[in-house]
Amino acid sequence: MKSINENLQKQALKMLEGKEVDLIIGWEKGTDLVKTTPVFVDTPEKVNRLTYSPFAVTNLVKYLLDYQNLGDKIGVLVKGCDSRAVNRLIQDNQITKDRVVVLGIPCSGQLDPVKVLPKVDPTADLTGVEDKGDSFVLKTSKGDVTLSKKEFLREKCFACENPNPVVADVLLDKEVAKTSKNNDYADVKALEAMSVEEKNNYWNQQFNRCIRCYACRNACTACSCRECVFDMHEPYWVSKKTTLNDNTVFHLTRAMHVAGRCVDCGECDRVCPVDIPLRKLNQKVLKDIKELFGTPTPGSAAETESALGRFNPDDPEEFM
Amino acid sequence: MNKVIKRDQLVAALDSIAAKYQLIAPVQDESSVLFKPGVAGKDVVLDAVNSTVSPKGTFFPQWETMYTYNMAEADFAVKHPDQGPDRVLFGVRPCDIMAILHIDPVFIGEKFGDFYYEAKRNKTTIIGVSCPSVAHTCFCSTFGGSPTANKGADIMFYDLGDKFAVEVLTDKGKAVAELISKFLTDDAAAPAAVEAKAKELAAQCKPVDVTGVKEFLDGAFEHPYWVELSKKCLNCGVCTYVCPTCHCFDVVDEGYKSEGQRIRCWDSCMAKDFNLAAGGHNTRPSKLEKVRNRFMHKLKYHLDRYNLAGCIGCGRCSQKCPVNLDITQVISDVKAVK
Ligand code: SF4
Ligand code: SF4
Ligand code: SF4
Ligand code: SF4
Repeated sequence: MKSINENLQKQALKMLEGKEVDLIIGWEKGTDLVKTTPVFVDTPEKVNRLTYSPFAVTNLVKYLLDYQNLGDKIGVLVKGCDSRAVNRLIQDNQITKDRVVVLGIPCSGQLDPVKVLPKVDPTADLTGVEDKGDSFVLKTSKGDVTLSKKEFLREKCFACENPNPVVADVLLDKEVAKTSKNNDYADVKALEAMSVEEKNNYWNQQFNRCIRCYACRNACTACSCRECVFDMHEPYWVSKKTTLNDNTVFHLTRAMHVAGRCVDCGECDRVCPVDIPLRKLNQKVLKDIKELFGTPTPGSAAETESALGRFNPDDPEEFM
Repeated sequence: MNKVIKRDQLVAALDSIAAKYQLIAPVQDESSVLFKPGVAGKDVVLDAVNSTVSPKGTFFPQWETMYTYNMAEADFAVKHPDQGPDRVLFGVRPCDIMAILHIDPVFIGEKFGDFYYEAKRNKTTIIGVSCPSVAHTCFCSTFGGSPTANKGADIMFYDLGDKFAVEVLTDKGKAVAELISKFLTDDAAAPAAVEAKAKELAAQCKPVDVTGVKEFLDGAFEHPYWVELSKKCLNCGVCTYVCPTCHCFDVVDEGYKSEGQRIRCWDSCMAKDFNLAAGGHNTRPSKLEKVRNRFMHKLKYHLDRYNLAGCIGCGRCSQKCPVNLDITQVISDVKAVK
């Protein structure tokens, strides 16, 4: 991790001093050991705040939307999964490629802060991270902690499709070998195998808990609508009441609306304060799209066939 | 305080309360801990330091019907819903009780009373339970709280491991305590044990110093710090919805043909329509104004209005913010950026 961090700061400094970019969006240390927080580096003096670690969870591509209508040229740090979102935003004409410089990080997995928290002193300072292949060694001001990847990685990393960014102007380290297994959608299959009643019970239990904070939407790179149906009063599409009915309408509408555009970065699932397994919902849609239309995970390449963005008279219509 | 109840008697005691009152208490909902009404003693969980969402919904629910109407009937048949049975809110942590005391004057003011809040507040007996441990995000001591404070509780339970010391503080509390009197035994050593526990836990609160913060904010409305800080905010509502003191609401009419209802629901300064006025103007249109408002409200406006802190240091927002925009960091930042 040391070489990524050195390279990251070197490249960032060069880009800012050379005026190749006006701003670099990256991560800096957070308020406890298991957290990082986004940082917006627009002067060479701020470069030393940039850091990368297995706690660099946020998909920073979302912030590109804040600079959509400004002239700035933006550098953005991405892991493999995040990088698919860059392609998607460009494909949706949300931003043009010449406005973005992608600093890519070949990723050997991200640690799950929730799983790691009980193993560390959160008030300690993270001074370094060593990637040992099967494990990470966290060097902290209160001693070293070894965490096996098998036990402590984030769930999504076990089926990572693109550990190496699919788009990058600068790669900050050597590419990593893809070690994860292909996504077998085991969670989705388990849900599919349930009876209608069981499925209903399962999702009712989840959706009942939703507090409609809309963090899932606001963290999502596919949610780029300037006016979202859930914010509208005229027409008042969805009630502000948090009944199971209204919550269900919210979730199913959102799942369908990001269909074919969800890049499976897992941010919605991560940010939910009440741990609603949103990734399962979106993976079901993703799996269906792959099976029915033969299109890859959205954003996998600069040009990908979009399942819902084209019309073909032979399209399967199994649900009609 | 020299009465105690054994931990293994708690379920039975809670069930005796639940037989007479509606019991509202923290229960496990998958990985979340949420306060729910009408629970049974066996489902109550007390090991999480803080519930995922604060218990403020007991008095100020995420949404409630203010009245229903039917225009086809005489006088429009306006009906105010019944405010429910007498209830006992059990398992509230000291910080969350303090939060209730700090939002009371918003709803039970001298000038403006709020029937809905006040009715539920009056119908509720609060049983506080001291914290079993202190999370690394807890900073209640900053605002004069402590993991064992009893202020605002009708009855206080002090967690001593295999037993709870029980302190009855009000007449309302007395009525509920009678229901569980058969589970209470004398224990002369309890007060000393509580004191020792109080000392041990208070020392673990995150040291956050707000001295000078309010005075700084008094003149910092246009400070460039807000521009920097707000960049990373996603304007989701997590911080405001989990917070025990956030109390903004929205009122919406939902009707079809001649019938309908007026509802009140939580609002959030992070929401897009928060300050949207008729005609389309929004006085807090972007991240900058929204984030500034939230921290100003927590650390200045509430003090200006009620001379009460707008944050009570429960740490929920620090824990749950998806981008680690942490109020304790803001407090230490504003002291440094002066
Ligand atoms: S999904 Fe892949 S690229 Fe994304 S964090 Fe996990 S290992 Fe890294
Ligand atoms: S983040 Fe979770 S609680 Fe918030 S709206 Fe989304 S699903 Fe609901
Ligand atoms: S602002 Fe944060 S720490 Fe303060 S009371 Fe609200 S949720 Fe708790
Ligand atoms: S501060 Fe954090 S939790 Fe609050 S709105 Fe911003 S991103 Fe969401």
